[in-house]
Parts: sequence; C-alpha cells; structure tokens
Amino acid sequence: FSLSTAAEPWPENAALYQQLKEEQILLSDNASSLAVQAFLQMCNLPIRVICRANAEYMSPSGKLPFIHVGNQVVSELGPIVQFVKAKGHSLSDGLDEVQKAEMKAYMELVNNMLLTAELYLQWCDDVTVEEITHPRYGSPYPWPLNRILSYQKQWEVRRKMKAIGWAGKTLEQVLEDVDQCCHALSQRLGTQPYFFNKQPTELDALVFGHLFTILTTQLITDELSEKVKNYSNLTAFCRRIEQQYFEGHEKDSSAIAARSSKRSLLR
Amino acid sequence: MAAPMELSCWGGDWGLPSLHPESLTVMAYAKFSGAPLIVNTINNSWRAPKGDLPVLVSEDIVISQPAKILNFLRKQKYNADYDLSAKQGADTLAYIALLEEKLLPALLHTFWIEAENYCSVTKPWFASRIAFPLSLYLPGKMSREALNRILLTKGGPPLYSLTEVEAQIYRDAKECLNLLSKRLGTSQFFFGDTPTTLDAFVFGFLAPIYKVCFPRVHLQEHLKQLPNLCRFCDDILTCYFRLTVSGHSPAGQDTADANLQKLTQLVNKESNLIEKMDDNLRKSPQHPPRKLTTLKLAAGGEESSPMSRLSP
Repeated sequence: FSLSTAAEPWPENAALYQQLKEEQILLSDNASSLAVQAFLQMCNLPIRVICRANAEYMSPSGKLPFIHVGNQVVSELGPIVQFVKAKGHSLSDGLDEVQKAEMKAYMELVNNMLLTAELYLQWCDDVTVEEITHPRYGSPYPWPLNRILSYQKQWEVRRKMKAIGWAGKTLEQVLEDVDQCCHALSQRLGTQPYFFNKQPTELDALVFGHLFTILTTQLITDELSEKVKNYSNLTAFCRRIEQQYFEGHEKDSSAIAARSSKRSLLR
Repeated sequence: MAAPMELSCWGGDWGLPSLHPESLTVMAYAKFSGAPLIVNTINNSWRAPKGDLPVLVSEDIVISQPAKILNFLRKQKYNADYDLSAKQGADTLAYIALLEEKLLPALLHTFWIEAENYCSVTKPWFASRIAFPLSLYLPGKMSREALNRILLTKGGPPLYSLTEVEAQIYRDAKECLNLLSKRLGTSQFFFGDTPTTLDAFVFGFLAPIYKVCFPRVHLQEHLKQLPNLCRFCDDILTCYFRLTVSGHSPAGQDTADANLQKLTQLVNKESNLIEKMDDNLRKSPQHPPRKLTTLKLAAGGEESSPMSRLSP
C-alpha cells in the first residue's frame, strides 16, 4: 500500500459491505465478516456495516467482506490487516518474531480447517444445501436466476473441495476435523484471556468471528455448534469478546443483531 | 505389533529416500517413532500405483493419506509426540496448516508446473518409475492436478494471470520459510531434542526443495540462505536415513547393506580415478546429467553422478 494510504487518517464514513443479514448471508461469509468487524473494533476504528445483495460482485476479489475506506476498497481479513497497519494501527506490534510466526500459523489453521469445514457443510452436504443454502443464497433474485446463481456457486465450491482433497470426506470426518481444530485452539488459549495473553490480536478476531458464528447459527443439526461447546474456554472467550467489543454500541450491534436473526435461519 | 506394515511410496534420488513430499513425511515419521515399516518404492514394474501415494498396507487395512497413516501408526503405539505438551500438539497442527497453505503451492509449482523443471527433471524421473503405458499418462495427470489445485486455491481475482499467481505463491513460500527458520532458531528440532510429527512434515516439504537439482531454483537459493533449516534437513538425513537411499529399512537385509557399501566403495574409487584423469573433459559443456542411468548404480546417489556425466 502506497504512502498516500498512510497519510490519510481513518475517515468517519468507512463502510464494510456484506450480504443481506436476514435473508441471504451464509455461515462462512458471516464468520469472515464478523472477524473483520471484531478486528476493527479492537483497533478502535469506527465502521458502518452496509448490507447489499450484490456485495459479492462488488468485492475486488470476489470474497467477502470488503471495506470501503476513503477511495480504497480492500477485501478479506489478511489484506485488511495490512491496510490498517499501513495506516498506523496494528494489534500485533508487541509480539516477537516467534510469536508472530505462531500467530500466522494459527490463522492458517483456522482458515484451513474451520473455514473449509464451514464451506463443506454449506455447499457439499446435500441436506443443508437443499434446505438452507439454495434458498438463502439466491433469495434477492427472481426465479430462475436464484437457482442458476446458487448452482454455479455450488459447482465452484465443489471443484475447490475436490482439488484440495476434501470432496472424499464424509460429514463425520469433517466434524472430527473441526473438533481437532477446536481442541488445538482450546489448548493454545488455555486460561489466558486472549491468545497472546493480555492484548487481543487479529488471531483473536478471526477465531471469535468463526466460533461465534458457529455457536449462534442454527443449522439442520446442532452437531457443529456442539463440537465448539465442548470447549468451555472457547465459549467463555467468545462471550468475553462480545461483551467487551460489541455490547454498548448502539449503532448496529452486529453481534447481537446477528444472534437474534439467526433464529430465523432455519426456514 | 502383529503383521508387518508395508508402505508403498515413490523412491528417491539426489541423496533423499523419496522425492515425494508426502511419502517423505511418512518415512521420516516412521523413523522417528521407530515403527518397523517395509518400504516398497515404486519401480518400473506392473504393480502400478493405484490412486494416491503413499499407501500403507497392514493386514487388510489400506490407508492412503499421510495424516491418516500417521494416526494409524500412533494407534499402533508408534508415537513420536509422546513428550509433547498439549500446547505443543496444538502448535504442530497450526504449523502443518501453514506449510500446506503457504509452502505446498510453491513446491507443487517447482516440481510440476515450471516448464523447464517439469520437462527436464520431474517428468522423466517419474515416468521412469511407472510401467509403460501408464508412464505416458500419469505424470501429465499429476501435473494437471497440481495446476488445478494452485489455480483454484490461489488464483482468483485480483490475480488474473498465471505469472501473478506464481509471484504471489513464491512470495508466500519465502515468507513461510523465513517464519519456519525463526521458529526453529538454534535448536536441533522444533520441539527440543527429539523429532516429532512437525519435524517429519517440515522435513518432508523442505528436503525435496533443498536437494533436488532443478534448472530453475530460486526457492532452493532462498532456502540455502537459511542455514538452520539446511542443517535441520542434513541432520535428519544423516541420523535417520543413513545408507538407506535404496529404501530398505535398516531393520532387515544387513547383507544387502554390506554389499551396497562395498559397491559404493568401488564406485567411489573408480570415480576418483576418472576425475583425476579427465579434469578438462568435465569442465567443458556437457549435457545435463542423465538421471536415468544413475539409477542402476544407485548405490551412492551423489557419488555416481560424476560417472554418469561421462557415460554415453
């Protein structure tokens, strides 16, 4: 990011775009969006959340969420963290080299296992696809466009799963992988308030985003959230971050609104 | 401890027991945990590789992916992670995820997609190990799968061409190598003095980059600038893979090893003599070494390569 990025301060009207919260957004995108919101809250940077049906197409990389700051558009947590760092705000400056390596490794673990498992559950598990994903994904559009778009996306995601070797996995194996990942996160967190002791970092934001979404989203079965609930320090971690960063903000209270809207997810 | 366990995997060259990262990971783990594995390297016979390698066969159970094979070995009480704390176990998973996300694409690219590397080294090497006519098809298939994987996981917008994707994956790989080097520091293995699963995975991914002689080697050059990682690979090779270039585990076949040693000494003597006599000839431009011919003299790995330059 160029020098001009560093020169401008964070504007008041910075916006984060995601899909429609009530009807359209899916588990994985919601998790990513919540992670970015948590990160920006931790950096004390104000942001408005704007929901648009075509957010995915507006994004420069096709992935959500993306933020619109000044005259720049940045998508996905990784580039957003770097962008915010170029503006002079960083959560991980206090870490030494080995800790930074660990943080990056754990972020890859979450992306590799949790995000992929969420995508698998949404797009490769036939029951979930029929009852939740297809109706939700195309809901802003008229028939037949809604079916075409969701089949197209499903084909894309299934191709990717096949390339990385997840297509052959059964749901039980995926849930076991999620369990393994949560076990690792739980062990790493231990009894500390955050992953790197006193201060939250982008890893905390990412883990919060995914775990909170899994815990509060109602799917066909509760198996996924049960896996996370097995680890009490992880649920306490989510509650702590929610209380500290999301309550008491009257603007959009994304987390709280998200929780109440999720009950209508199963339609 | 019942039936013997057989591992089928790709063989090795350039001083490595195997060229394939996943096969190498499993072999390294077996050595670290002391599991008695009979290693069958795929050679030019009709026992064609079915599906993905490496494959572990134990009685009637067939297991194919490295993570599952390692789980199976752990259940059989061959556990290299016995001394690790829970947090270190968690770190292991995280670093393996880092390797797969950041380093594996560049590794696949160097082996299977970079045109010069693929045509002059990878394809002939693998084709020579597979029976005809599968050798005409399988290397191409592996290359296409590698390209597919890279493009699907890394190649979305805003990267619009293969060169941009390549630049990005090599940047990620170099960053990953730097992170590993910082994590290793000055200790011998990643978690102290005994090797564990993480060491097996890191070794499996790093050793092919480090040892295989490719025409295009910028990742290897970057790796060579990180001396602690190079020392890590060399240590594991000398301590755990001594004299097992041909793939036999040291548990059995001592006479074969003794014969190999004698053959190695003979080959060394011959190559020294030839080196002394033909100094000028070696310095003049040569064709790249024909690795196919070195296989038959595969006793000494690197030692026989000066000989191969002179053989027709």
